[in-house]
Amino acid sequence: MAPVSLASETMKDYRSNSLWRLTLRRIFKQRSAIFGMVILSFLILVAIFANVIAPYDPEEVLIGVEAGIKKRSAPCIHILGCPADQPQHIMGIDGNVRDQFSRIIFGSRISLMIGFTTVGFAIIIGTILGALSGYAGGWVDNVIMRILDVLMAFPSLLLAITIVSVLGPGLQNALLAIAIVTIPVYARVVRASVLSIKEMPYVAASRSLGGSPFHILISRILPNAIPPLIVTGTLGIGTAILDAAALSFLGLGAQPPTPEWGTMLGSERNQVFTAPHLVFYPGIAIMLTVLAFNLLGDGLRDAIDPRLGQASE
Amino acid sequence: MRSKALFSAVFLLLLASLVVVACTPAVPTAAPGGSEATAAPMEPTAVPKPTEEVPMGTAFEPMKLTAPDCDYGGMIKEIASLDEKTFQVTMCVPDPAFPSKAAFSAFSVQPREWIESAMVSREILEKPVGTGPYYLESWNRGDSIVMKKFADYWGDPAITDTLVFRWAGEGAARLLELQSGTVDGIDNPSPDDFDVIKADPTLKLYDREALNIFYVAMTNTFKPFDDVKVRQAIAMGIDRNRLVDNFYPEGSEVATHFTPCAVPNGCTGEDWYEFDPDAAKALLADAGYANGFDTTIYYRDVFRSYLPEPSLVATDLQAQLKDIGINAKIEVMESGAFIEESSAGRLDGIYLLGWNADYPHITNFLDYHFTASNPQFGTPFPEIYEKLSAAAQIADPDKAAPLYEEANNAIKELVPMVPIAHGGSATAFKADVTGAHASPLGNEYFAVMDPGGRDTLVWMQNAEPISLYCNDETDGESLRPCEQMLESLLSYEVGGTKVKPGLATACEANDDLTVWTCTLRDGVKFHDGSTLDATDVALSWIVAWDASNPLHIGNTGAYEYFTYLFGDLLNAK
Repeated sequence: MAPVSLASETMKDYRSNSLWRLTLRRIFKQRSAIFGMVILSFLILVAIFANVIAPYDPEEVLIGVEAGIKKRSAPCIHILGCPADQPQHIMGIDGNVRDQFSRIIFGSRISLMIGFTTVGFAIIIGTILGALSGYAGGWVDNVIMRILDVLMAFPSLLLAITIVSVLGPGLQNALLAIAIVTIPVYARVVRASVLSIKEMPYVAASRSLGGSPFHILISRILPNAIPPLIVTGTLGIGTAILDAAALSFLGLGAQPPTPEWGTMLGSERNQVFTAPHLVFYPGIAIMLTVLAFNLLGDGLRDAIDPRLGQASE
Repeated sequence: MRSKALFSAVFLLLLASLVVVACTPAVPTAAPGGSEATAAPMEPTAVPKPTEEVPMGTAFEPMKLTAPDCDYGGMIKEIASLDEKTFQVTMCVPDPAFPSKAAFSAFSVQPREWIESAMVSREILEKPVGTGPYYLESWNRGDSIVMKKFADYWGDPAITDTLVFRWAGEGAARLLELQSGTVDGIDNPSPDDFDVIKADPTLKLYDREALNIFYVAMTNTFKPFDDVKVRQAIAMGIDRNRLVDNFYPEGSEVATHFTPCAVPNGCTGEDWYEFDPDAAKALLADAGYANGFDTTIYYRDVFRSYLPEPSLVATDLQAQLKDIGINAKIEVMESGAFIEESSAGRLDGIYLLGWNADYPHITNFLDYHFTASNPQFGTPFPEIYEKLSAAAQIADPDKAAPLYEEANNAIKELVPMVPIAHGGSATAFKADVTGAHASPLGNEYFAVMDPGGRDTLVWMQNAEPISLYCNDETDGESLRPCEQMLESLLSYEVGGTKVKPGLATACEANDDLTVWTCTLRDGVKFHDGSTLDATDVALSWIVAWDASNPLHIGNTGAYEYFTYLFGDLLNAK
């Protein structure tokens, strides 16, 4: 029995030292990454429980629902001295007489959805292109990478605006545009990893054992190309949310009455001085979300990079 | 090897791009938003200045253009200069509104020699030569227009030496400039800022009388708007009070009719439908849309005094329509494309548009929109336009009243569009500017203003003019600077709508209102030093009227105001 238990011990040891464990442990050593994760989990919770938290329907116009309500009213918070006979609106009322707080809360759903779907889509396409290009090499590599180079030569937001103008404004088209624009980034990351990994001895071993190219690519190379992709992806989510907000700000992204932060910011941009809360809260919400992803992404990079902290283990 | 190939590729690319650049014709830099420069034909030869070739006191040659008959679709039969001081327009049909039209800046007068020399080179678009109290010093594209006091002005000279026009699209930006003191007056402060301006002792707000209409239009050639019940349902399903109470500044009112009541005969006939969502739903069900339908709300995100908050109104309208079962998505369009599509009747949904009065006459509202040749609401309704064309030939407003009553009732019955509001707007000036005002026609007159003794008056409006040849412009932002430099036969009183003499001391009609004879003022000098005579007036009118004239060029060549005030152009294809 002893050898078996010994084997399972070694197994356990091996597992505990796996890349993922190490990474997690390293992440938890970084304050900024923890901070990012805390904000992010908070945002995710808010997004999940939006309909519980929000006091109103985000698209409900409160004209006639609450007596004497005026558009763009300042926030009314009871514990901060707002008379109790007035209905409470933590972040005030927007230009169309809707509860700003509810809209901000529901906006988190849309922003997170934007971040994850665009980056998810871009990663899938980017990985396919990058892996193909890195593994096949030769003219395939050349054709794919040159096309992506052309794509990268355009300023990303301008290209996204062009794509949306062609497809027509709307949230879906904006998502598609941002995804297309970011594909080259992921394709390049994957290609670089594939290029270095395919020269590794274990790949050569797999090949000499008769593994098909497809098998080698899928089960030997790609799993090891994922870590840098995760870092780029996490940082990319922040950028994607920012780009989507920018498109919406320009009126090309989410269409009214969708409670999207960029749209909210854009439609009330003239009211910076008369109703600052309408610009301030969506702006803060965008900033917090992007900050969370950036902090987390930075932390992940430091944790995953094998050149850092290996000695301490 | 590889790098060598790469280098030669880059070199070839560079060479190719150089060739492309060299072969591209040198187009002058277009102004932002202005389309006229891109269409400019290349005429490198310099045009001689007219001043040099105008000998004073040349023998007068009368100028005359007569239409072969009145079947070409327009109202004008003949335009003629009879002698040096007499200009005459003969109409095919009586036109009681002629004085109101002749005072409009789309009929401003420039010297004959200047039109002949500067029209083909399109120099006239940038350098107007008029008779007004200010002349153009410079137009710095994208930045400002500088005008100087004209010393030889025939009337009361301008008070301030220099007048500067600037522009900014955002209401908040304009107010900020005014507060910081870099401009003396601004157009259209945001309604939300009215209280801020009133509370500031250094600023003063001037309310502009609501001589406009905001309407929600439908094109009846598209389903489901071809059904009058659907249109009536929308008319009853929109809570217009809610829109005006929440999204319009003080001084705005809910429209009872298409035309504001301040215009004679504007409010004859029945008032508009009361808000009744249940009746609206019943009508929709009657028309076969018990479960509503999907449509689109189109608008342009541009501040207009009739629609100060376009995006908020569109969003609220979306919510209101949802309550009667109509699901609308919102589509913001670029301003130029929106006007083009809507006026051609190509928008398949509901669209938000309005109208600012150019001259205070009911024909300026009803005839333009509901005439037989306007496709903007789809197929025009004979029930409306027949009454209008009959009424337009009656000079006495009281005698025309019964016809306008029938026309207004027909509009209510057929609902080509839903009139929503007459929007109040304002201008704001520094408190020390005397003579400041807001004109209901949007033609503020700066010659009468004194900016507290300073020698420069700076005005900031919403946008840069498209061109300064206003006979072929419709945009109010272009007309306003023109009105400081150019004059028409008659003029409007400062800050009001009454017609008073201008370049002509009077325009008299014969008994049946078909022949209008204008006597020109003596001693009127143009900015180039030449003297006004009747051929200047005649040519200014003829180049617009006669589409086959070689000088019928303008900015777009459409001469839209001429077309809609006097019907089709002569010799138009």
